[in-house]
Amino acid sequence: MSKNRPVYEPFALEPSGRAHLVVTSLDAPPEGIEDSFDNIEVWTVKHNGPGVPVLAAGGVRPFRSTTELLAQLGHRLGRETAGLRFYAIGSEAFIWDAYNIGVAAGLHSSEISLHRAGPFVRRVYCSHCRTMIEDVPANIVTCPSCEAALFVRDHFSRRLAAFMGVKVDAEVPGEIPAAEVFTS
Amino acid sequence: MKLKIEAIGQLTSGIRKFTLAPVDGSPLPRAGAGSHVVLEIPGPNRVWKNAYSITSAADAPAYEIMVRRVEKSRGGSAWLHDHAKVGDMLEVSPPQNLFAPQRKAKRHLLLSAGIGITPFLSYLKLPGLAYEMHHCCKPEDEAAFRTLLPFGPQVTLHTSRNTLNLEALLKRQKLDTHLSVCGPESFMDVVLATAAHVGWPAAKVHKESFGGATGGEPFVAHLKRSGMTVNVGREESLLDVMEAVGLTPPCLCRGGACGECKLTVLDGVPAHHDHYLSETERAANNAIMICVSRAKTPELVLDF
Repeated sequence: MSKNRPVYEPFALEPSGRAHLVVTSLDAPPEGIEDSFDNIEVWTVKHNGPGVPVLAAGGVRPFRSTTELLAQLGHRLGRETAGLRFYAIGSEAFIWDAYNIGVAAGLHSSEISLHRAGPFVRRVYCSHCRTMIEDVPANIVTCPSCEAALFVRDHFSRRLAAFMGVKVDAEVPGEIPAAEVFTS
Repeated sequence: MKLKIEAIGQLTSGIRKFTLAPVDGSPLPRAGAGSHVVLEIPGPNRVWKNAYSITSAADAPAYEIMVRRVEKSRGGSAWLHDHAKVGDMLEVSPPQNLFAPQRKAKRHLLLSAGIGITPFLSYLKLPGLAYEMHHCCKPEDEAAFRTLLPFGPQVTLHTSRNTLNLEALLKRQKLDTHLSVCGPESFMDVVLATAAHVGWPAAKVHKESFGGATGGEPFVAHLKRSGMTVNVGREESLLDVMEAVGLTPPCLCRGGACGECKLTVLDGVPAHHDHYLSETERAANNAIMICVSRAKTPELVLDF
């Protein structure tokens, strides 16, 4: 089952780093991490919250959405210097979006650590019309664009940060697999 | 291939430049930035095989190399300094590249000392390379090295360790920068230790080792499958001695970096001088890089 699925280690800060940037799609980081290292900054998402108050480095910065957070991330990493360790915590879609932004900014995979957390929902890529469907809770979903009934394969694309969705009876026409809510 | 020494120049008191060209003007194999060639150099009793970085551009009509006269010369560099003359023919291997510029890097930080400048001279001939270079040399060699380097803020020459603040330099590099370093072991050790200290990941740090073979106590190597026994003298490498008796063990960089010449040790304890084996592999004592490593025990038995 997990052949095409990344495996995640438990969250831990890397002592080899000189500075740490933790981004999470959750509204709070793992407890106590702000105090665990000197040079650490945490980006969180607080829906309908006050937004980012100041652009000062350090501490916890709440963004209003993952979209806002990810939009800022590339700019921020472009200003960073060697020695940074970058961490992303949240849904698989969010952490791989963050990973891809990190790599584009020049980070090597050994400078990035990813941790899956929160509800088991998936981003699904409709392989028929290329639509991305966010926060899908179960293995059968209807594409909102082309209206195809899709089966969500256990195949994760790191580049798209999404699972592959294909027509539900693609193998044998008329044969519909049992619906299951994701538990991983 | 046979190449002719077309020109010889004295760069510094200890470094000579050689231009190696094909006799009939035929095109040479392309030598990408960072490549080296192995020269076969005639000695009184045997042939020396030494690796030298190519300093000319990839598609130049002749290969240019620089040779430092090694104090305790293994033989090759002394001959090139004392006996080689324009018109001499040398057997030269096709270029190999173990130190190509990192393709994933958007910027390059190049740090070199002394003769370690040579692989970077071909890097600097790449069009549009985004780099910052720092070269360390003796004050008396500064003028000579300056003639080899482009003029501009991206290149700094240091004639004293005090003027190069490694820690500050490494700390201010952007995330998309890779570090490449070449020079004497002691220099590379300091650079690598400082980089690790300020948080550089190993994957973005690249080092070129050269002239790694240093002498040591003589030892005897039994080559089990060949049924031969060879004596490795104080100033010889195991690889050189095996080649001298007509064997053709695998090898590439001749500097302990590439891993090509790894042989299995069946008995005895090797003295590791390479940069290839991991700490665990070294401790296991069952493999040896024959181009640079020697023996702690008087005898070694190798699976060759």
